[in-house]
Amino acid sequence: MNENNSRRNFLKQGLGVATIAGLSASSASALSLQNPGRDKGEASYVGAVGKHFVMVMDLRKCIGCQACTSACKVENAVPSSQYRTFVLETEIGEFPDVRKGFLPQLCNHCDNPSCVSVCPTGATFKRKDGVVVVDNTICWGCGYCLSACPYDKRYFNTKTKTADKCNFCAQRVDKGLLPACVETCVGGARVFGDINDKKSEVFKLINSFPTAVLKPEQGNKPQTFYIGLDNKISELLNSTQSLDDMVKKHEGIHAEWSKTMIKEM
Amino acid sequence: MNTLISSITPNIPWGIDVPNYFWFTGSSAAAFIISSFAHVFGMERYKPIAGFSLLMAFVLLVAAPLNLIDDLKQPGRIFNFFFYGWENFTTSPMKWGVILLLAYPVLIFFEALYIYRPYFVKKMAVANGFARSFYGFLTLGRSGVTQADLDKDHKVGKRLGIIGIPLALCVHGYTGYILGAVHANALWHTPLMPILFLASAMVSGTGFLIIVIPIFQKLFTSMGSVNQETMVDLAKLLALFIVIDLVIRFLWLTFAMPFNGEEKYLLYAFFELNFHEVLYVEYLLCLIVPMIVGFSALRENFMVLYIAGILSVVGVWLFRWNTVIGGQSIPKTSPGFLSYAPDIVGQSSIFSVLSNWGILIALICFILVIFPWDEEMEESYSKRVNHGK
Repeated sequence: MNENNSRRNFLKQGLGVATIAGLSASSASALSLQNPGRDKGEASYVGAVGKHFVMVMDLRKCIGCQACTSACKVENAVPSSQYRTFVLETEIGEFPDVRKGFLPQLCNHCDNPSCVSVCPTGATFKRKDGVVVVDNTICWGCGYCLSACPYDKRYFNTKTKTADKCNFCAQRVDKGLLPACVETCVGGARVFGDINDKKSEVFKLINSFPTAVLKPEQGNKPQTFYIGLDNKISELLNSTQSLDDMVKKHEGIHAEWSKTMIKEM
Repeated sequence: MNTLISSITPNIPWGIDVPNYFWFTGSSAAAFIISSFAHVFGMERYKPIAGFSLLMAFVLLVAAPLNLIDDLKQPGRIFNFFFYGWENFTTSPMKWGVILLLAYPVLIFFEALYIYRPYFVKKMAVANGFARSFYGFLTLGRSGVTQADLDKDHKVGKRLGIIGIPLALCVHGYTGYILGAVHANALWHTPLMPILFLASAMVSGTGFLIIVIPIFQKLFTSMGSVNQETMVDLAKLLALFIVIDLVIRFLWLTFAMPFNGEEKYLLYAFFELNFHEVLYVEYLLCLIVPMIVGFSALRENFMVLYIAGILSVVGVWLFRWNTVIGGQSIPKTSPGFLSYAPDIVGQSSIFSVLSNWGILIALICFILVIFPWDEEMEESYSKRVNHGK
């Protein structure tokens, strides 16, 4: 009887100690306000303090060659059929008054990013230099940021199984290089730099030309500025049907995800 | 005229698990509210089904979060949800789930323990060995059945119920916040979203009870038959909740389309695309028909009422689907609507939703074996008859 009691007590005490040990061990990392990398202040999580990186897209110079699209895929090992950046191609007007329109798009690295504020794990955040990044070691793939982005610039990376997006090639920028898309842009349409630096090209472009951003009404304060952005192109973003899809339908190609056509608005 | 030549087609992030999750939490909240009609507001007519509804609220909420875990791309990292990202607590409604999804089921469980305590004491008296200590555990160490003890059970149960009502509203209301907070989505971004979800949840929760209660009354109680009076009470509730739901949907749709700004064009296109499904199935068949049944003498016919219950449950599920999946189909930067068809097997597939329902059924059986709901239900009915005399 006594033996039984002492065994029970031993088990009880052991259980108590184990619980306390477990709780304190987990509380060491528990309830982090941000995420481990940011809490430790690691350089790649903080970025270049004092700088504010932006991109300027000079649409007058874009020829829709998609060199940026492919350079980005190679640099960032973006899985097939997924894109961090791409150039939307459109035809504006009717023959004979017709022209091509291009809209290169990537993450806008918004100053008020709606993707960051909804992230429940702190995996996505804005660095001090303005670059919005995803920590793919923390992201649990809930997709809230994908829903929250007004620009559809996030996707689930099929390799990492986490949210992914353009990071302005932070791995290159941190070493003083340009983002891959900028470096490869044949027309010089993509310009990247620190807006806080008054000698930078982006500062000069933004202050010498009228610029516009996509969907300003969303209140995200995008940091990708377009020169020569035409309403005809930006309105296209959610209105007409895609020739690609028409061809797909005509040819009877059925992917798991495909667009349903709507009549023109 | 503009014609798009090439663009990319984004995937929509949330699959079939998410509408199913919303349906589960909503029905749980509704079942809890209906149980509180008796436990908190003292409405005697709902007393016989109050305990049963409370247990349904519990199992629905235990099964619900499994949908969320299944929809994650990295379910193994679920602990990151608890450990990191507290910086975004005020701005990420999903984060509120940490507190709500833990606190709510615990609260319901304790309320149920207090309500069923006298019955556990009875069971403990006749049980031996493990069963005895198990029931002893469920009585929370109080084995007295004097009037003072029963009064205390009642008082604590009522208090937990009072705390539970706002918690139940939050546990489903927050899912409305999850969608409503997304200003990038024209269909979701409305302050009515949490209310809209709660209103339709009351419909699905009542419908769920209309489906489940007769099965258990008929097969697993010594009464051996369905209590017609209870069914009629539920039918009336169902009709009333449908009216509330329709009113809020009317407010939503009018302000989302005719009285809206730029967003209305996309929403017109969206509803045009889904017009027949929404009008004839979601509204006419699954809301108007059950409402007519609930308000008319048709509710006296068991089969008609039972079908109305099924329709209302299906209708609310379709509403969740059309909101979650439909909302994501609205283009943000891609021309044309996106379409989605769930996979048959794998994560967030038809099979995973069916499995979740399987888990719900298993949990219902498990919890109803442990809790002496049948005894409590029969006693409530017999008290009612005695009062009647």
